Amino acid sequence: MSTVAAAKASGRRSVGYIALSVLGACVGLLFLIPLWWTFVNSLRPGGDTFRYLNPLQWETFFTLTPSLDNYAELLRSNLGLAMLNSIFVSAATVVIGLVICSMAAFALAAIPFRGSGAVFVVVVVSFLIPFDAIAIPLADLFRDWNLQNTYAGLILPGLGNGMAIFLLRTFFLAIPKDLVEAGRLDGLGWWGTFRRIYLPLSVPSLIGAGLTLFLFQWQSYVWPLLNGTDEQHILGPIALSNLQGQFNVDYGVMFAGSIVLTVIPLAIIIGFQRYFIQSVTTTGLK
Amino acid sequence: MAVPPVRRRRRASLVAVAAVFLAPALISLIVLRLAPAAVALWESLFRESFLRGGTVFVGFENYADLFGNADFNNALLVTLVFSAIVNPLQIAVSFLLAVLYTRKAAGAKVWRSLVVLPIAVPPAVSAVVWSVIYRPDGLGNSFLDLLGLPAQPFLTSPQQSLASIMVLLSWIGVGYWMLFLIAGINDVPNELYEAASIDGASAWRKLWSVTFPLVRRPLAFVLVADTVSNFLIFAPVQILTKGGPSGSSNLLMYDIYTRAYTLGDLSKAQAEVIILVILTLAVVALQFRLLRSSDAA
Repeated sequence: MSTVAAAKASGRRSVGYIALSVLGACVGLLFLIPLWWTFVNSLRPGGDTFRYLNPLQWETFFTLTPSLDNYAELLRSNLGLAMLNSIFVSAATVVIGLVICSMAAFALAAIPFRGSGAVFVVVVVSFLIPFDAIAIPLADLFRDWNLQNTYAGLILPGLGNGMAIFLLRTFFLAIPKDLVEAGRLDGLGWWGTFRRIYLPLSVPSLIGAGLTLFLFQWQSYVWPLLNGTDEQHILGPIALSNLQGQFNVDYGVMFAGSIVLTVIPLAIIIGFQRYFIQSVTTTGLK
Repeated sequence: MAVPPVRRRRRASLVAVAAVFLAPALISLIVLRLAPAAVALWESLFRESFLRGGTVFVGFENYADLFGNADFNNALLVTLVFSAIVNPLQIAVSFLLAVLYTRKAAGAKVWRSLVVLPIAVPPAVSAVVWSVIYRPDGLGNSFLDLLGLPAQPFLTSPQQSLASIMVLLSWIGVGYWMLFLIAGINDVPNELYEAASIDGASAWRKLWSVTFPLVRRPLAFVLVADTVSNFLIFAPVQILTKGGPSGSSNLLMYDIYTRAYTLGDLSKAQAEVIILVILTLAVVALQFRLLRSSDAA
């Protein structure tokens, strides 16, 4: 009797197991399709983009004659320069932004000074105001300051990131004060404490904050559209969206550009997966 | 009670040290975040004067004009309808997917990462890719054809443009929100499920009475963060529909952009920026209140 019930239960469980696996696979593949289709089309001539669409066939999603011509073309086109601009602007943001944000987080976590509460309020309020919403008034200010169409103009808004400061401060607060005392007794100044004790102990959270800064800049669209539209300073997403809607679009090159703009953050996220998940979950649960 | 001079000096020097460490971040936050908001607020109270040149103070007239303007009212309505549909939809889908991918099943981690994949796609890129999918001869209609359904106009139809944007946004966003909820579900102690099983609870009952209440905190965060990000949608509208057809996808961010740059009415655009910021903060505050009162219950 009990064995029958157990067998029945395990039978139900394995039916459930298979059903869940199939459902999980279908949903996953459904999410993959747009990106996979983009990838396949980046490997075939632009003229063939719409060739295999109706009716759907295996060739819609696969090609036996992949070629990298579109990527080579990308390098020669303005889109290639735009990608390099995106890389430069994002890298500069991460490096300078990490220095600025970690210094501020250190002051808020380790230095007992009067008014630190008030400063923290400024940090929190500044990330409650969504950047995109104030991008238009800010672009107006940047025009007055002659920062339009400069790299400085593109990089500056990404540097002070309230979220990154908040993340780093939380981590810094967990560093035992004894270590700091010991360091001070050995004659370390505040800068030495920051450089020699706090930063080396915080590499994981620095990576998390660096990812936050990178994704902010790499994915931004409103700001570079308002502030950097000349040929020299245009960023990847803007250059790509300029292609769309033009009369004579080479879809192959457009898809190749889409793949490059996606693969770079993807590689970084996968490379730092552990820190990415960590920074995602700590921001969510605190 | 006077503070001894040595201690006072030490305190003063601590402030000086902290100021040095804080200066770059504080300056950038004040100049690049708070100042533009203040400037928008200030300038929204003025209007360009053609008679005298320069600007004149008009108080809240820009705001009054906006609320009397049919296009603005339409943008506000579209934004509210959009938020009321897209937020619950995305959160429900990410919650169900989080539940699905935390069950024991073959390849769950692989399929889950396929759902997460689109979060690496920048919004402008996904808009460009989906503009091809949504073409009359694009991938979207090939799938409908496969299912025996008639071809749809998608972006060129006033009834479908907003829904088409919602689908593309969910494709990017759902995986991201799912990550938070998966973390929350994994934190639920296993004993609770075992106890529920002993009590003879069904799978549905366990989901509703054990999982759901215990992921309330990550769920609350996702709700607030998702709402804020959906209030600020811009790239898909600018790239795919330009607010059309006939204003059907004219979300507030895009309306502000066209008011500032196409219509060249900067002071009204500033007023609209303020309205958007206040709307966002108000909805966030309201959600916090509701969540807190339901926490206490």
